[in-house]
Amino acid sequence: MVRLRSILLFLLLFKSFGSIIAEEEDQIEQFSEALLLRPLPDRKVLAHFHFESKVPPTRTHGSHHHLFPKSIYQLVHKFRVQEMELSFTQGRWNYARWGGYDPISSRNAKPPGVELWATFDVPQHQVDASWRNLTHALSGLFCASINFLESSTAYSSPQWSFKSFATNIRYGTLPREAVCTENLTPWLKLLPCRDKAGLSALMDRPSIYRGFYHSQRLHLISNEFDLAAASSGMVLEQTLTVVLQPVTLGSGMTSSVGSIQQPSWSLSTLFGRKVSGRCVLSNASNVYVQLEPDLVSELKTTSETQQQSDVGNLISEAWSDMSFEMSESAVRVIKEANGFLKESSLLYEFSLENYSDSRPFDLEFRWKRPVTWSSQLAPLQARRFLMGSGNERGAIAISLKSVGRSEYAKSSVNEEGRCLLRVDVFQVVPWYVKVYYHTLKVFLDERLHSLADVVERTNVSPSEDKVSPGLMEIALRLPCDVHSVILTLEFDKGFLHIDEYPPDANQGFDIPSALIRFPGIKTKMDLFEDKSACKSPILSKLQEESPVLWYTEVLLVPLTTPDFSMPYNVITITCTVFALYFGSLLNALRRRVDEEERLLKNKAAKPSGPIGVLLSKLSAKLRGKPLEPPPPSSSSKVSYKLILRVILVAGIAAAWQYFYG
Amino acid sequence: MSSLKMDSTMKSEFLLCFLLFSTYLSYGVASSSSATTTMHTNNWAVLVCTSRFWFNYRHMANTLSLYRTVKRLGIPDERIILMLADDMACNTRNKYPAQVFNNENHRLNLYGDNVEVDYRGYEVTVENFLRVLTGRHETAVPRSKRLLSDEGSHILLYMTGHGGDEFLKFQDSEELQSHDLADAVKQMKEKRRFKELLIMVDTCQAATLFSQLQSPGVLTIGSSMKGENSYSHHLDADVGVSVIDRFTFYTLAFFERVNMYDNASLGSLFSSYNPNTLMSTAYYRTDLYPRRLEEVPVTNFFGSVMETIHTDSAYKAFAGKDSKKSTLEMPLQQSRQDLRRTFASSDVQYPTSDSNVEVRSTRFLSFHEFLDFYAW
Repeated sequence: MVRLRSILLFLLLFKSFGSIIAEEEDQIEQFSEALLLRPLPDRKVLAHFHFESKVPPTRTHGSHHHLFPKSIYQLVHKFRVQEMELSFTQGRWNYARWGGYDPISSRNAKPPGVELWATFDVPQHQVDASWRNLTHALSGLFCASINFLESSTAYSSPQWSFKSFATNIRYGTLPREAVCTENLTPWLKLLPCRDKAGLSALMDRPSIYRGFYHSQRLHLISNEFDLAAASSGMVLEQTLTVVLQPVTLGSGMTSSVGSIQQPSWSLSTLFGRKVSGRCVLSNASNVYVQLEPDLVSELKTTSETQQQSDVGNLISEAWSDMSFEMSESAVRVIKEANGFLKESSLLYEFSLENYSDSRPFDLEFRWKRPVTWSSQLAPLQARRFLMGSGNERGAIAISLKSVGRSEYAKSSVNEEGRCLLRVDVFQVVPWYVKVYYHTLKVFLDERLHSLADVVERTNVSPSEDKVSPGLMEIALRLPCDVHSVILTLEFDKGFLHIDEYPPDANQGFDIPSALIRFPGIKTKMDLFEDKSACKSPILSKLQEESPVLWYTEVLLVPLTTPDFSMPYNVITITCTVFALYFGSLLNALRRRVDEEERLLKNKAAKPSGPIGVLLSKLSAKLRGKPLEPPPPSSSSKVSYKLILRVILVAGIAAAWQYFYG
Repeated sequence: MSSLKMDSTMKSEFLLCFLLFSTYLSYGVASSSSATTTMHTNNWAVLVCTSRFWFNYRHMANTLSLYRTVKRLGIPDERIILMLADDMACNTRNKYPAQVFNNENHRLNLYGDNVEVDYRGYEVTVENFLRVLTGRHETAVPRSKRLLSDEGSHILLYMTGHGGDEFLKFQDSEELQSHDLADAVKQMKEKRRFKELLIMVDTCQAATLFSQLQSPGVLTIGSSMKGENSYSHHLDADVGVSVIDRFTFYTLAFFERVNMYDNASLGSLFSSYNPNTLMSTAYYRTDLYPRRLEEVPVTNFFGSVMETIHTDSAYKAFAGKDSKKSTLEMPLQQSRQDLRRTFASSDVQYPTSDSNVEVRSTRFLSFHEFLDFYAW
């Protein structure tokens, strides 16, 4: 018995020792960098930078770090952040052309402006305070007005449509926030090599901001406060996704087939810089070139037809040699094993290990023949638009159109033999757009459908004036063969207080992007690779399952804007009226009628002034009549005074015109 | 009766004496405290562009030019509060994304890789501006957005935008009035947030903005007198708008010839403005400022050149407060006098010869290497 026990104990010890050895690898800080390049069907190139920093938990590793940014560490500890994502985006991801059904688009396509969400490990009543402080801290850190998200009218707490099983979550967006160099620089300063060495040295600001789309993202996961779970410390993932137009040099001529030659590109033509070696602090520093499945199959079929005409033997790699060439040789080629898609994508891996200042890495990708293909699309294409006219009321419509591919049906929920597609819609509307949620209508294939059949679950919290925005979460269950779905909601436009209007109110107000999520459809890449080789974090990220997402357009709602100079006009008009009123009143009160009459009589008794006498003499001479004393009537005198006054006023006016006009 | 009267008079005399003595005491305390604060410890800059919309590109270029200059002359980013009311660099109308130019030759990109904007867009309001000056923030506001100056600080406050008689427009919707500015400055003085303050304003009728200022230690300069407009310098046909204002252009022209270790004085800066080229009269108000402008180097406000105090031994950590003070102040005053003497002896010459610069900069080689924003 004792022996058995000791053996058991020994075994246990051994096991724990083994696990310690296994954990040893996780017990050091790690940083890795990677760049993924992908030609896009519309003659553009996607560049996706991926940086990842990992740090073991504080209780085993302590709070001193070599690579992990201190500011982020402090942020996590101060506000007890569990998970946080912050993205700065300009431009709109073109889901139809650049793809909507791959891990990169589902993670990195973000709404324009700033999007921030975070979950906190604090009691329920402290979440708002933590959020408020976090927004301020981030605004200082990233030079952006993220602190506008502190107001309760700007953030919301989605329950299930944004992220499944999330508690204590807060979500907010600023659609009109400008994104520029001052936001990218602090983001780069979080990297151990900043933008001085490694892949981040490629980030030439003018070439990045010249792009069609750029989104810089920071995603943080921390298990610091989770004592029960096998803690992995903190993981900071930083990505920058850019869509660039290569500078074409004389290419772009149409070939005999009619399809346009794709532009050739290199790192130096895209970014204007080369990579001089890796960041020495990184564990892995790789560059990948990804070819989409449709492109691979397209290249294969065209090369097969050509090959068959020439020679019979078909070398497996010949198709790629025939259609394009790359200036550097790939370390390895990773194939994707995809279950239900016909073809799989290819990843060419390049290592930055052997490059230096004297021999910089400048990958060049040259097309040899024209090719056309299309990206993988999401099962439904989402659009959102406004209906109605005028400044009083309107309606929001969200339309989902099927792309007409059947393969998604296999992955969707099958229940009682019916093929159903689950779609979650998440939308936050500012309070001054007062949405009437009872007016929700669903049209399936342009026919009004009862809500009970389609809507599985709803969570609506109507907006409260100047307190909270309107939040809508709807889970739809759609038949797979549906072609179009349209949701409409009516709203009234509210009034803001004069202080609440922004300086450019006439431009209109933004309704942040709605999020369409397909929880049943997951996207990931199954890569064939040898497990022994050290896994690059970007590859493991690509292999993680993530639901397909689609951010809709930002809506621009014109609200009634008051005439801001109106108070001024009112003040001047009121003052004029008051002046007239009080002036005449005082005049009436102060005037003594009988005294004035007496004065007039006295004046009339005296002879009139020398000019009057002269004038009367002159007129008498002209008329040839003897001078007679003026009649004792005051009327002529009054008219004479009046004329004098008019002349005086006219003279002053003329002088004014002359001198100041 | 008489004795009682005597007593009361005695009492009153005693009281008077006491009062006098106490006032004398308080005066002495106050003067001694002001004497301890005379040391110039740090430099801050608050640079404000108050105009929104693309056609006001030049105002942002003005502010960024000043930002670049003060950074080049040694004020670090954490001591610069930069407020930009709109985004011009990544504006969709900007043909040169992430770049801002203040000259049509496009030789210098003002929006380099390392711009730290503290307040931008809708955040640039009169309220926030006054909060920054007076330091009355919400508790959550991060340090980078605060003016954390003290009683030894020299602050440069630069503002540009559209203004008029005793007001400056913010974002085309609000106004900062001369009374607001004067109140804020007064509050700053009371809170000992600055030692000396230079307010530089480039707007139309800029001089009127200073009319209400009363606080001592404030020096002001405006681009134009009452009834005068401030004009833009030139138009860039590629950008499509005017890129800089005249007053700022000639200010920069002056600073182009200055490096960190020059003794160029404020007087020479102020006398460099030519009303014919400015097309307005630069106005400066010195009645609140105690020092002679010829003795004040421009780097007292537009840069940060600290006097290095050599101590023979390390500080005594637990020494009494008074003894520490006396040991500290002795070399300080000496060095200060030395500095004065060098100012007096070396007439400020323009343009400074390069060899002169070289000789001086060898002493500050580590500084020199550290600050790599050198090529103007």
